Amino acid sequence: MQTVGQQLIITAIPALPALVFFVLALFGRLLKESAQYVAILGVTISLVFSAFALLFVAGIVPGGGAPIEFAVNWINLGAGGNFSMGVYIDGLAAVMLVVVSFVSLMIQLYSGAFMEGDKRFAWFYAVLNLFTASMLGLVLAPNFIQLYVFWELVGLCSYLLVGHWFEKPSARDAAMKAFIVTRIGDAALFVGIIIFWATTGSVAFSDISLAAQSGFIGGSLFTTAVILVFVGAVGKSAQFPLHVWLPDAMEGPTPVSALIHAATMVAAGVYLVARTYDIFVQSPTAMLTVAYIGGFTALMAATMALVKRDIKRVIAYSTVSQLGYMMLGLGIGNYTGGIFHLYNHAFFKALLFLCAGSIIYAMNSYNLFEMGGLRRRMPITFWAMVIAGLSLSGIFPFSGFWSKDSIVASAYDEHYYLLFGMALLTVFMTAFYIFRAIFLAFTGEPRTQGAREAGESPGIMTGPMMLLAFLSIVSGWVGIPPGLGIPIPDYFDEFVHPSEFAVSTLNIEEPSFSFVLAAISVVVALLGIGLAYALYVARPELAGTLASRFSWLHKFLDKGWYFDALYGATFVRFAMWLGKATRGFDRNVIGGAVSGVGRGATGTGSLLQRLQSGGVQNYALFILLSVLIIGIVVGAQYAVIVVGLIVLITAAAFAVGTRL
Amino acid sequence: MPGVPVQVQQFIDALVSAPPLEGYLVVGAFLFAIGAWGALIRRNAVVIFMCVELMINGVNLTLVAFADYLPGAGGLGVSYAVLVIAIAAAEIAVGLAIVLAVFRSRRTVNVDEVTSMRG
Repeated sequence: MQTVGQQLIITAIPALPALVFFVLALFGRLLKESAQYVAILGVTISLVFSAFALLFVAGIVPGGGAPIEFAVNWINLGAGGNFSMGVYIDGLAAVMLVVVSFVSLMIQLYSGAFMEGDKRFAWFYAVLNLFTASMLGLVLAPNFIQLYVFWELVGLCSYLLVGHWFEKPSARDAAMKAFIVTRIGDAALFVGIIIFWATTGSVAFSDISLAAQSGFIGGSLFTTAVILVFVGAVGKSAQFPLHVWLPDAMEGPTPVSALIHAATMVAAGVYLVARTYDIFVQSPTAMLTVAYIGGFTALMAATMALVKRDIKRVIAYSTVSQLGYMMLGLGIGNYTGGIFHLYNHAFFKALLFLCAGSIIYAMNSYNLFEMGGLRRRMPITFWAMVIAGLSLSGIFPFSGFWSKDSIVASAYDEHYYLLFGMALLTVFMTAFYIFRAIFLAFTGEPRTQGAREAGESPGIMTGPMMLLAFLSIVSGWVGIPPGLGIPIPDYFDEFVHPSEFAVSTLNIEEPSFSFVLAAISVVVALLGIGLAYALYVARPELAGTLASRFSWLHKFLDKGWYFDALYGATFVRFAMWLGKATRGFDRNVIGGAVSGVGRGATGTGSLLQRLQSGGVQNYALFILLSVLIIGIVVGAQYAVIVVGLIVLITAAAFAVGTRL
Repeated sequence: MPGVPVQVQQFIDALVSAPPLEGYLVVGAFLFAIGAWGALIRRNAVVIFMCVELMINGVNLTLVAFADYLPGAGGLGVSYAVLVIAIAAAEIAVGLAIVLAVFRSRRTVNVDEVTSMRG
């Protein structure tokens, strides 16, 4: 049990960056470039508090050792149920808190130099902090509704940041695309939440899991709801078939890409599946869906990354692919492995993006084929990128090795041989494409003037890079499987593990470390690196020959399997048609009705206008006639008298004479 | 009264006795009709006002006659008639002022020539 002060500290983790957002949004114009110091102060405190949460949950802080859990009533609908707002931190959430706030801090340090001179510098930092705050809030959420609120905030921030340079039409389009594509997933997630709420009467993760266990919800409805939740994760984590937004999101500033890809946004989808793991494990169909979607995405995105010319897009597809790994890991029951990969991936993927950003900062180009020979001019960037690349490829003993091997091995252990093959093929391609990028950028002769004049980035950028490079090597060492014989305990497995219930439902044996499988995956990765070396360093002309010989394949991969074209021809076209039809209906039918009424009134008016002669006696005549008509209508029986009266008046008038 | 022929006596009686309600109403209606007719066809604004006065007085006559002949009315019609007379006086004061203003600006009181309100 934690004290009130400790609860306040926990609450401050997301609240501080949110406060920084408000401060910067209000006073950003005054603070200008010093906005970064405010932001960094906020995130640093958040990081310290997150570390405290981690230590508390780990039991190192006295009184800790158990998940942190507290809540307040938020909305009370009486008989309609009530929603609470609270905090739930177990090992998983604690690790995520530290990763998110740490990566965010690194990126905010780095952005100070990268975004220098930007027109909306303070606003950039403001949204960066809101992004961090939303992700931290999402991690703390103990129920679906609270999670959904932060989930949407994360989506909003990614929209704002991807479209940060909204003067560029491509950035605007990419921001819109990111928002709309993830929104499809969000809608599915929301429907899933509603199904859960309607059937179980609760939105808390633990309650829904318990309700499903005791049969309040089951069968195909339950599977549907779980898969809908997963579709939400698919949208956020850019899995097939909603992966199309992530590569386009590269239009945002590079630090944003790093943040989106490493810690916030895309990690949210994987985190959601992990958070609701007790619910997922109760539906074998959903678990298989997760596994196969993940495996297929990993493979598909890796093939797309093979031929990209834009360094950021190579890394972006790599993220899609790695997220596929995590989903695969979760889907086949390797909970710890999937989350371990998420944790390692955060460091080396952030590092890869910061390296890419450093190159872009130095030579203002994204095109790999305009780089070359940067190794001597940017040594720190080069070595950082090599470390990140080795980690991504899963080379022993870099961090990526431990988590990737865990996932690949458990695919084999659990007899998912198709997934195992896909994962292994992905390992090969991953190593190939990332070293293709490294070789193209850093070795050989400079291909352009920009590459010849490039220089190392300033210390505020290389500092975080070096720190992340260090972590890309060692972060995996906290999760060394016991079977390897290295006398370091598997802290990660002890700390982040599925619930007893999930373990017993899945009925999975404790995975044992296999030297053969590890050797295979490392050798496959080394082969990939070797092929990249052969094609891009040893015999550079060979790559071009291959590309032109298999130009259809090259084009197919470069166009991302024509997914954009397919979606463009179907969904986008349909939506555009619907939009145009709606606009047509609005303009012609509704607008026509409105302007028709207007025209009718005008027409009638211009007809009646002729009665307005301006002669006062005409008006008097109308009045008299109208009164007579009313009189006839009301008192038809006196019509004779009235008519007689008129005749009498007329006669009298003639008698008296028309002119006195 | 002796020495007076019966027919004369009857005529005098008829003169002296109260005329029937219808008499007043017919006179009132005639007054109103003449006024209305005049208001509609005369061109001179001053004469139109005079005709409006005729109409008002036709109505007044009707009011007073009814007040006298319908006991249930409790003489209320008379007070109305007084009210109408007061308002008519006010109306004439304002109306003639308008006619004077029109005459000053246009040098005419012919209503056919005052048509600036034409739509």
